[in-house]
Amino acid sequence: MENLIFISAFIQQANHILLGILPAAVIDFLPVAEKFIWCGFAAVGFAVLFNVPSRTLVFIGILGGLGGFTKFLLIRFGVSDVLAPFCGSAVIGLLSIPFAHYKHAPPPVFYIPALIPMIPGVFAYRMMLGMIKLVGNTQPSDYEQVLQSTINNGLKVLFIILGLSVGAVIPMLVTRRDSVKDLKASSFFDRRDD
Amino acid sequence: MRSNLFVLEVNKTHPEAKELCTLLLRIGTLLMTSGSNTERIRKTIQRISTSFDYKAELVINHRSVLLSLENENGDEVYTSLKRTGQHGVNFRILSGISRMSWTVIEEHWTVDQINEELDRLQALPHFPRIAVLLFVSLAGASFCRVAGGQIPDMLFAFAATFIGLFVRQESIKHAFNTYLCVFFAAFAATLVAGLGYKLGIADPGNHGFVTSVLFLIPGVPLINSFSDLIDGNIQTGIIRGINSLIYSFAIALGLLASMFVYQM
Repeated sequence: MENLIFISAFIQQANHILLGILPAAVIDFLPVAEKFIWCGFAAVGFAVLFNVPSRTLVFIGILGGLGGFTKFLLIRFGVSDVLAPFCGSAVIGLLSIPFAHYKHAPPPVFYIPALIPMIPGVFAYRMMLGMIKLVGNTQPSDYEQVLQSTINNGLKVLFIILGLSVGAVIPMLVTRRDSVKDLKASSFFDRRDD
Repeated sequence: MRSNLFVLEVNKTHPEAKELCTLLLRIGTLLMTSGSNTERIRKTIQRISTSFDYKAELVINHRSVLLSLENENGDEVYTSLKRTGQHGVNFRILSGISRMSWTVIEEHWTVDQINEELDRLQALPHFPRIAVLLFVSLAGASFCRVAGGQIPDMLFAFAATFIGLFVRQESIKHAFNTYLCVFFAAFAATLVAGLGYKLGIADPGNHGFVTSVLFLIPGVPLINSFSDLIDGNIQTGIIRGINSLIYSFAIALGLLASMFVYQM
């Protein structure tokens, strides 16, 4: 009898937790899911500006969306501002290879427009405002604080962009092939010498 | 003295090497202006030259390509240099040349066939101007949304990007300096975005001002710069990096000019 009460209480408790947490979690992650759409649109916009072949447009949108989604999901879980875009661009780089095979276009056509939504525009803007302040301001009271935030934002910009371009070429760095044409899962670990 | 004469003679009597060299330089400069990284240019040219049984050695710069062709025996060398045209990203050419370079090997194309294919690729149409304007403006609004903007901020980012890109296209048409074109575009875009703040419709906390110039960021030179550095092509990597830095300064100058106008 005591056991039954305990079990029913446990089930109630579990139910309560599920009902309480699940919708909240879903609502919590809706903004992250929404980034998929907007990053996708941004990638397609740049793809049109770069005059990509029309057959690749949809896939660039998907890639850009997935990269942005990965980045914001990781940031939501507390991953740093530099590591999260790196992981996003690694996803883009890995997926750009099957897309390149499928649509017969080189991987940069896919990954460059898809990476652009992740370029840290707001950090760059803050760095620039900081630099302008540093030029105009010689007051010792807040000079150090402005200098600190300017350097912090500038280094973030530098390392995020470095991470983006390394992440996108990870498949080539790992497999050591000259061209993605030779990239097959079966011969993943042997270096082609000719 | 004798070897000099020999080289002159070789240059004169081997039109095929000259023909091939002109073709390969055309491909190299086309790839460079269309936004390819340096390693891709080198691989593509070497791939095509091996299909003609020539060995190619290259010096690739941002504004010129130097190519030296050597025949199988190594007793004939032909060297030539070509300056690149105006840089303008065009991934349709990049993709077309990449596909072609594999077909050349598989089907043993002649020089004339490759030249015809290049003519075809260069004549390929761009997206219609209005489509480019609308899609890039949508991208600007998307950037604003990603940075935390609401509907009014997005509308202003859309309008700002539209007008900014229009100004850029027009100033490129009037053959202004490339960096000056970017400055004009950034100025025009931020004037529109700042209007939203002045009218009290858009919220300055939502980054509408900065996201309206994000369409100007030199994404291709920036990413190619780092990928060149990773590949060990340090020289072109640095040049591309400095180039994108100047673009960024032009954007910053445009932003500053409108901040001055609006007394922000």
